Amino acid sequence: MLTVEGLHVRADAVELVHDVSFTIAPGERVGLIGESGSGKSLTALSLMGLLPEGVTASGRARLGERDLVGVPESRVKDLRGRALSMVFQEPMTALNPLMRVGAQVAEVMTLHGRPRHEARERAVELLERVRLPEPGQIARAYPHQLSGGQRQRVMLAIALANGPELLICDEPTTALDVTVQKQMLDLIAEVAPALLFITHDLAVIASMCERVLVMYGGRVVESGPLRDVFTRPRHRYTQGLLAASRLTPRGTRLPTIAGSVPPAGRFPSGCVFRNRCPHATPACETTPALTGDGHAHACWHPAD
Amino acid sequence: MILYLVKRLAVLLASTVVAAVAVFAFMALLPGDPAEIALGVNATPEAVADLRHRFGTDRPPAVQFLDWFGGLVQGDFGTSYVTSAPIGPQISDRLGVTAVLVLGGMAVALVLAVPLGTFAAVHHRDPLGAAISAASQVGIAVPAFLAGILLVFVFAVQAQVLPSGGYVPIADDPGEWLRGLLLPWLSLGLVQGAVLTRYVRSAVLDVMREDYLRTARAKGRGRTGALWRHGLRNASVPVVTVLGLQLATLLIGAVVVERVFVIPGLGDLLLNGVAGRDLLLVQGVVMVLVAAVLLINFVVDVTYHLLDPRLR
Repeated sequence: MLTVEGLHVRADAVELVHDVSFTIAPGERVGLIGESGSGKSLTALSLMGLLPEGVTASGRARLGERDLVGVPESRVKDLRGRALSMVFQEPMTALNPLMRVGAQVAEVMTLHGRPRHEARERAVELLERVRLPEPGQIARAYPHQLSGGQRQRVMLAIALANGPELLICDEPTTALDVTVQKQMLDLIAEVAPALLFITHDLAVIASMCERVLVMYGGRVVESGPLRDVFTRPRHRYTQGLLAASRLTPRGTRLPTIAGSVPPAGRFPSGCVFRNRCPHATPACETTPALTGDGHAHACWHPAD
Repeated sequence: MILYLVKRLAVLLASTVVAAVAVFAFMALLPGDPAEIALGVNATPEAVADLRHRFGTDRPPAVQFLDWFGGLVQGDFGTSYVTSAPIGPQISDRLGVTAVLVLGGMAVALVLAVPLGTFAAVHHRDPLGAAISAASQVGIAVPAFLAGILLVFVFAVQAQVLPSGGYVPIADDPGEWLRGLLLPWLSLGLVQGAVLTRYVRSAVLDVMREDYLRTARAKGRGRTGALWRHGLRNASVPVVTVLGLQLATLLIGAVVVERVFVIPGLGDLLLNGVAGRDLLLVQGVVMVLVAAVLLINFVVDVTYHLLDPRLR
């Protein structure tokens, strides 16, 4: 249903996302993992046509038969909020502070042609669907009267309003209290039609997704079914990431990945991970291709 | 909201009383006795004492204040020591002229600043946006009276399409009234418009970076639509603060501009009062100006509450 082929994202001369390709089938839940600066949010924003000023995407991305990248804004904006929706990381600032919650939910429906009174009624139903208590009262409230978790539910209600084919969630629970995170994740898993879920939290991905893409330095370095990637990582970066997130016995050193993520444009040539990789050899100066059916990896010295 | 309005109204009244005390105290502290001024240097002490008694300036200051303030509440500003004319009607005649001048100037500023500032923000990366920014910077540096003189030179002296000064009441000839006010409005409005353009630009720029504009676009709005529907009202909150301050500045600017264009407003009355040492007249005009500024602040605060639910 969603097909991304050779997606590149650039800011002036700096390439931020390089040759990303993946697909999402109807009803499938795909996770996108990576550290900050790996290009995962930019990948999502380029699908929505919401890249910041001065940042441009090229390549091919299609939702069904409709192109998402490289088409004029007027064509993509009609898909946004209707065929394809997104929930962002920061619920505290994502809603207009001067507008009642119900009106903000109704807006996404009137924008795509639903009559006003109908949209208002349906807004309250949607607030109930995302399990907000007293939806009628919440609809009349302003965002500052709601908690972060409640606001994120409102964002989810907005995203679901027009029955999209694909829901993109960019770290939707990172800003929430741990106790609220679980409820929010369960709700997303329950209501999402097809899902592209972005996070740096491996535990969250494990509970949400069937398939994962691991990004580093603007490239997909490993992809495959969740179970395979998590139990038998091939790329050395994925291996390091999993090792760092595993619980270690008391008294032992926490395993980490050496060094830190370089700033955009400063990644090494060839394999982007080679300056931090304990297994790097001169062969890594050549860019490895993402190879393998099903469980693919881009590494010259993969783990077994 | 009602409770807030009542509270805010109480604050307005209290601060007006405090302002009245301050204005009265400042005038009382000024050297110069109205009776001596009226009678000249050769007056006998008896005559001065007699006149002081008639003016009531021989009473204790507190009694004089209560008398003056009690009159104010009923719209009575007292009688001029110099001209023996009642002050209230003079002020009310001219208050209207100044109000029209200030509000017209503000309207010119708004009409210029809102579209230009918004355009400059939206196109902040383009040369035209930068040009608006630069032009507003120049505009800020020009004082209103200089703008007035330049406008007179261009439109009245060179092109001879508008009068260089004078005021025709609207009841006499609406056309001439308008023609007479155009240049004063422009000279007040252009400068304030330049200042306001910068505030509007930065408010809109700030709002453009807000997450909720991205949310609006994620719903399916275009950049312009999102800014129009969700951005401008949010941007207006900081702009309203500046508008209030500017109205107060315009009121002061009007004092000078009325001189340049020979308009019989409050500023003109104030300067006449100062020149003629008409203390009670000056006191009355200053009180009205102070009250106007307090009232403007009140309106700004209430507008704030109407705009932003977070304050309610």
